[in-house]
Amino acid sequence: MAQKLKDTILNPILKGNPITVLVLGICSSLAVTVQLKGALVMALSVIAVTGLSSFVCSLLRNTIPNRVRIIVQLVVVAMMVILVDQILKAGEGTYAIDKQLSVYIGLIITNCIVMGRIEAFALGNKPIPSLLDGLANGAGYGLILVIVAFFRELLGSGTLFGFQVLPASYVPNNLVILPPFALILLGCIIWAHRAYDKSLQEK
Amino acid sequence: MEYISLFVKSIFVDNMIFAYFLGMCSYLAVSKNVKTANGLGLAVIFVLLCTLPINYLLNKFVLQAGALRWLGESFADVDLSFLSFILFIAVIAAFVQLVEMIVEKYLPSLYASLGIFLPLIAVNCAILGASLFMQQKEFASVGEAEVYALGSGIGWYLAIVALAAIREKLSYSNIPAPLKGTGIAFITVGLMGMAFMIFMGIQL
Amino acid sequence: MNTNSNVYTVIYTTLIVVVVASLLAFVAMKLGPAQQANAKAETLRQMMSAAQIKPAEELYAMSNADILQLYADTIAEAYTIGADGQPNGSLSVEKGKIELIDKLKPQNKAILAGAAVTLPVYVFQSGMKVIPIYGAGLWGPVWGYVAFQPDGRTIAGAFFDHESETPGLGAKIKDESWFREKFVGKTVLWSESPAFRLEKNAEAEGSVNAVDAITGATMTSKGLNEALNVWFKAYEKHFNREEE
Repeated sequence: MAQKLKDTILNPILKGNPITVLVLGICSSLAVTVQLKGALVMALSVIAVTGLSSFVCSLLRNTIPNRVRIIVQLVVVAMMVILVDQILKAGEGTYAIDKQLSVYIGLIITNCIVMGRIEAFALGNKPIPSLLDGLANGAGYGLILVIVAFFRELLGSGTLFGFQVLPASYVPNNLVILPPFALILLGCIIWAHRAYDKSLQEK
Repeated sequence: MEYISLFVKSIFVDNMIFAYFLGMCSYLAVSKNVKTANGLGLAVIFVLLCTLPINYLLNKFVLQAGALRWLGESFADVDLSFLSFILFIAVIAAFVQLVEMIVEKYLPSLYASLGIFLPLIAVNCAILGASLFMQQKEFASVGEAEVYALGSGIGWYLAIVALAAIREKLSYSNIPAPLKGTGIAFITVGLMGMAFMIFMGIQL
Repeated sequence: MNTNSNVYTVIYTTLIVVVVASLLAFVAMKLGPAQQANAKAETLRQMMSAAQIKPAEELYAMSNADILQLYADTIAEAYTIGADGQPNGSLSVEKGKIELIDKLKPQNKAILAGAAVTLPVYVFQSGMKVIPIYGAGLWGPVWGYVAFQPDGRTIAGAFFDHESETPGLGAKIKDESWFREKFVGKTVLWSESPAFRLEKNAEAEGSVNAVDAITGATMTSKGLNEALNVWFKAYEKHFNREEE
């Protein structure tokens, strides 16, 4: 039992990583990785949303009629994200954060990872393992996001978290800031990952 | 003619994949061969064609600021646009459920090869994105919204079939083992994306 | 209970819809006033930044209550104008009853359609006049506030905002102070068309009404340029009239 739980938590970080292995959550990893700060905010949000949605859907799993299963899952996810957005908008200190996040809100609701894990895991497993699975997948996603954002911010603006790291004479590489580069970077990360773990290589 | 320029624009200039990078997950995962790519592409076109006009009407008569005027003047101030996400997604999810049931019954081999990516059409950012863009672009009629849906769907379809064709050819090339499959697909799409940037900003 | 029966499905969906709708409606209702207060303070911060009351960083560090107080202390008057440029209404500037025209989208629609408009002008005690602008960026709307010197032609400052432009590219119109500082001291040439130019390499020609577009943010810059010119044109009669 303990081994199974351990697998549930560790698997999504590397071997079953949602972005590089399951190919989920790609859209957002292109859009929000221009700066490390944005990537971190998005990663934390996805960890929270995936964990909680998996938990709630697992609680409801025996009551959901099969015919409306997708709608119910989505409504649960959308409702939670909207609630968080509304609460952040109302707080005086959190309003500014919400304005930054509002770009991402839509990307979080439609993030394939959230729904992908509900369909693949939460609907067939108990609530606590589902919660852990959701959190772990969010973390695996976050890891890749931070790696991509690290390179994109460093090479694209010469900064990290807004602090100038490269000398001012560095001319920012504008190609790095555009989405296609993120795809190429992801391809390279997959290359490195699979060279290290040969079992993931495709025939 | 307006419709034609809107149609051409939504296929190439506003291509969901290459201009806005929406709908990437299913795009990358299901483009291994042309046959399945074809099936998913057609499913996406179908869902877009059905959901966009419904969402357009919902937006016009329920969600927009002042949209509820037809219920009575006292409702003219109501702005329900914060419900846009949830309503649009509910409509899309309903149609995807429908498509899933049809495909499972009549095209079982396609159902098996699409796997989890069939229900994932419901969260396909491209489909929700199309509805949200439609909201912003403020089309004059349902007809325009439908033309936009057709164009966006065909754009996505062309993109995924093109990638599938390239990937099928690539499978015969001498690619290093760690890069085979998913890895090289990512890099290919990145290059295709750069190529498509020539369309950006074209006024039609 | 057969979870797949039609009756159950219908009851379940209805229940979910009712629960979710009520929860969201309740939250929206309860939080509405707080959200609007935040939105109002945000608008005031942007206007006062454009009018050079204080630097943007300072304004953003102040609380909502302080912002309201600062506005009440530095504003002289605010009024609305119609399509002919003549004042046709006033906006309260008393603390606690500050009135703003912050729903810019319908006004933008009206300007583009040539229909009747109600455009605001905020006059600060320093003599500076602040007007809003609004338009379509790449992914969503862009808007902002431009402050004019009392002569009605020289720009004293500007602040821009957006809903969903690309972070690191189009978002620079808001995030980078060097962009808005470019507008300080520029002139709007009312007699020319376009009256103002936010275009690629426009500054190289040395014109007084030109600012360079942002590299890599072509579409956002284009959208902002259009927003500026459409709204400047709507205010032309008002500012030109004042010159005489």
